[in-house]
Amino acid sequence: MGFLGPLRKRAMDAFLKQGLPGRKSEEYKYSNPEKLFRGASIKPESLGLESVNFNVSGLEKKPSVLDLKKLDKALQAFEIKGVSENRVVLVNGVYIQELSALPDMPEGVLICSLAGALTDYRSLLEKHFSKYADVEADPFIALNTAYAGDGLFMRVAEGVTVGKTIHILNVITDEASALLNKRNLILLERSAEVDVVESTVVVSEEVNVGRNVVNELSELILDEQSRLRFYRMQQDCEGLNLISTVQVLQKASSHFDTHTITLSGDWMRNNLNIVVDAERCETHLNGLYITRGIQHVDNHTLVDQRKPNCESNQLYKGILADKSTGVFNGKIFVRRDAQKINAYQSSKTILLSDDATVNTKPQLEIYANDVKCSHGSSTGHLDEEAMFYLRSRGLSEESAKRMLLYAFASDVVDTIRIEPLRAYANDLISKQLDFDIKK
Amino acid sequence: MQKQNELIDQQIGGEYKYGWSSDIEMDTAPMGLSEEIVRFISKKKKEPDWMLEFRLKAYRHWLKMEEPKHWAHLDYPVIDFQKIIFYAAPKPKKELKSLDEVDPELLKTFEKLGISLEEQKRLSGVESRIAVDAVIDSVSVKTTFKETLAEKGIIFCSFSDAVQEHPDLIKRYMGSVVPGTDNYFAALNSAVFSDGSFCYIPKGVRCPMELSTYFRINAIGTGQFERTLIVADEGAYVSYLEGCTAPMRDENQLHAAIVEIVAHEKAEVKYSTVQNWYPGDVNGKGGIYNFVTKRGICLGDDSKISWTQVETGSAITWKYPSVILKGNNSVGEFYSVAVTNNMQQADTGTKMIHIGKNTRSTIVSKGISAGKSNNSYRGLVRINKGATRARNHSQCDSLLMGDRCGAHTFPYIEIKDKSAIVEHEATTSKIGEDQVFYCNQRGISTEKAIGLIVNGYCKEVLNQLPMEFAVEAQKLLAVSLEGSVG
Repeated sequence: MGFLGPLRKRAMDAFLKQGLPGRKSEEYKYSNPEKLFRGASIKPESLGLESVNFNVSGLEKKPSVLDLKKLDKALQAFEIKGVSENRVVLVNGVYIQELSALPDMPEGVLICSLAGALTDYRSLLEKHFSKYADVEADPFIALNTAYAGDGLFMRVAEGVTVGKTIHILNVITDEASALLNKRNLILLERSAEVDVVESTVVVSEEVNVGRNVVNELSELILDEQSRLRFYRMQQDCEGLNLISTVQVLQKASSHFDTHTITLSGDWMRNNLNIVVDAERCETHLNGLYITRGIQHVDNHTLVDQRKPNCESNQLYKGILADKSTGVFNGKIFVRRDAQKINAYQSSKTILLSDDATVNTKPQLEIYANDVKCSHGSSTGHLDEEAMFYLRSRGLSEESAKRMLLYAFASDVVDTIRIEPLRAYANDLISKQLDFDIKK
Repeated sequence: MQKQNELIDQQIGGEYKYGWSSDIEMDTAPMGLSEEIVRFISKKKKEPDWMLEFRLKAYRHWLKMEEPKHWAHLDYPVIDFQKIIFYAAPKPKKELKSLDEVDPELLKTFEKLGISLEEQKRLSGVESRIAVDAVIDSVSVKTTFKETLAEKGIIFCSFSDAVQEHPDLIKRYMGSVVPGTDNYFAALNSAVFSDGSFCYIPKGVRCPMELSTYFRINAIGTGQFERTLIVADEGAYVSYLEGCTAPMRDENQLHAAIVEIVAHEKAEVKYSTVQNWYPGDVNGKGGIYNFVTKRGICLGDDSKISWTQVETGSAITWKYPSVILKGNNSVGEFYSVAVTNNMQQADTGTKMIHIGKNTRSTIVSKGISAGKSNNSYRGLVRINKGATRARNHSQCDSLLMGDRCGAHTFPYIEIKDKSAIVEHEATTSKIGEDQVFYCNQRGISTEKAIGLIVNGYCKEVLNQLPMEFAVEAQKLLAVSLEGSVG
């Protein structure tokens, strides 16, 4: 019998025990997901529970040949030159080989669907799947584990350095089910190195059709001395309600570097849970969100420093226009005896409108004394003196604003190490800022 | 500095020095909580009907509430409210006319605490005039300087007296800042509160002396539920001090108080606390559970409320002195030193709610944890829509002494106005080895060096305290941290 059945059962029990987080939940204090479900209850029998594979009741179907052609065309808009040459396309979580291309992968890189991995690399999957994201910790982890449909499985073997960036195109279409549970598993073996870019986009016939809820969960395992750069671009996904959890395990001397750039989406919750379970690790979390309309973007980070001699850095920046809401909740957790930890966190927000709201909750929970931990948070409007300086040098108000906002955002963008991606992100950000300023 | 160190030295070798109990004849209510008890307390205090109504409303609401356990970083067993005596008062022999008639045992109690009710010296060598309202267990026993204050039109008396003598003021202000249904412990207090202090400063009067309330829990098995109400009318100023101690007992005693402050236009209230309830022994046995709701409102324009607290005692501290900045240009301040040692747990901080325009708030919080204690800062800064050009700066530092304690920071920042500027900084670290080394090098022993560094670390807050309190607070810091060095 499969290992998945019992796992799903346990997860479902955990979900039923926790229920959807309500207003009293500290973790979802500023992002109440109840309204996404509008009172609809999630019943265990409504989906194929205890399914032993990843094709849960055949919910997410592979698009037809005709649709594939359409999709291929639509996806050209999201190609990043110098990045998308090696790409993996996931449509509603289903791996589409026809649209993917991986010409430059060295030996030792395995990329396939979870369903494929279940038949071909079962022991690997059994060893790692759902071993890191704790179903008791968060109801959405439980829900995802209970109902996880297909997703991506990737493994980089020991000592392999992938020279080329891998672009994951994460596409949500009109066909996605009302509650889509996608799942990824990425394994980096000892001393492996890889750069991954993930773009989340909505391809839809109608504008703002979305309204479905996507609950995605990725487990990333970084073995000793491995290095992963993980860039997430949440762009062009209007109408999307997303709960995205990235669960990371870092082993000795590993290096994890991630960027979350959110420019679109209706209701976005990004959970980043990093467990640093060994010494001499480095962790860098960067985030940028530029919101407008009634968008809601919540970045929730947890860096769990379990062992001594590690370093972590967090930098989150937000620019909020219109009636949008931004949330930053970052927690640094230093366990007992995890001495000599340097952990820093900084969150900065600019409000462009009186109707915008920002809620910040930076937390430090420290149980070791020989540490250096700090957080800083600031919220304000554009610096009047800086504006005056630029205006006095003949810049129009519009260009002065643009220049300052662009500079504000570039602190985060400049830390992107992949040159073409940085240019691409800069381009997207300028366009969005232009739009916000002109209004 | 020389003097500070002497003070610290004096204290080394001392433990909790207020741990004794006095043998005073008590009048107590039966154990447990019910509507009967609420009525009993009200009757005992000969209260008017509206007061009883207020209590019953709060009690009925409290029954429907849940103990707030899900967010605070505290760990304690469920409190059994049926095992608490909700009313205990020193038995009155007859109506008191002068100090001579006060139970001599009571006077001795307060003298032992260093608070002379005979209206003069407070600390040897320091000549000062402080009006004291002494509250033992549930009841105010004596208010000094009442007459001197009355000349200026200042009302300073026990809460029960105020209910009888100034019902209009009480009716108008009681519950206006902390409603009887506000939170679990505030509702409990509103139902069973026994006494406390009331203070009213009329228009344009600057209170000529520090007003002070001294709280003492004495009786066994009791809880203490007092409430303080301070009203500063237009342009008035008052500085208010609060101190507290309790005997050493193996059981946990509950203290759930309410402090309400109202500041009208251009008024200023400065409220300072040195909280030194019994913290329990080294193994965490006994100690006071301190669940306190303190809130002030800057009702008028240009008003100011400032909280300063030194928290060294209590097994559990759950306390968030807040300011609602309603008037334009009003100012809120919060200065705090919280020290935890052994098994103590503290979850304390503040709330600054900006409603008026050009409102400003400052938060300075210094946490020190030692032993196996946990010390959390939890603070909210909220800028409402329309609170244009609001300004807040928060600074929360934590110092860890020893590797078995915890220091945590949980700020909540909610901003709904683009013209606001809000900054928050927090750091956590231990005492710098280089600093200790520097002192050692100059012949200062490690223990003394740490005392020196801790004092410097807290200075920003201690400077806010009135002088007599500052001296006491420094002594307390030294006692609380004793044995945690090295």
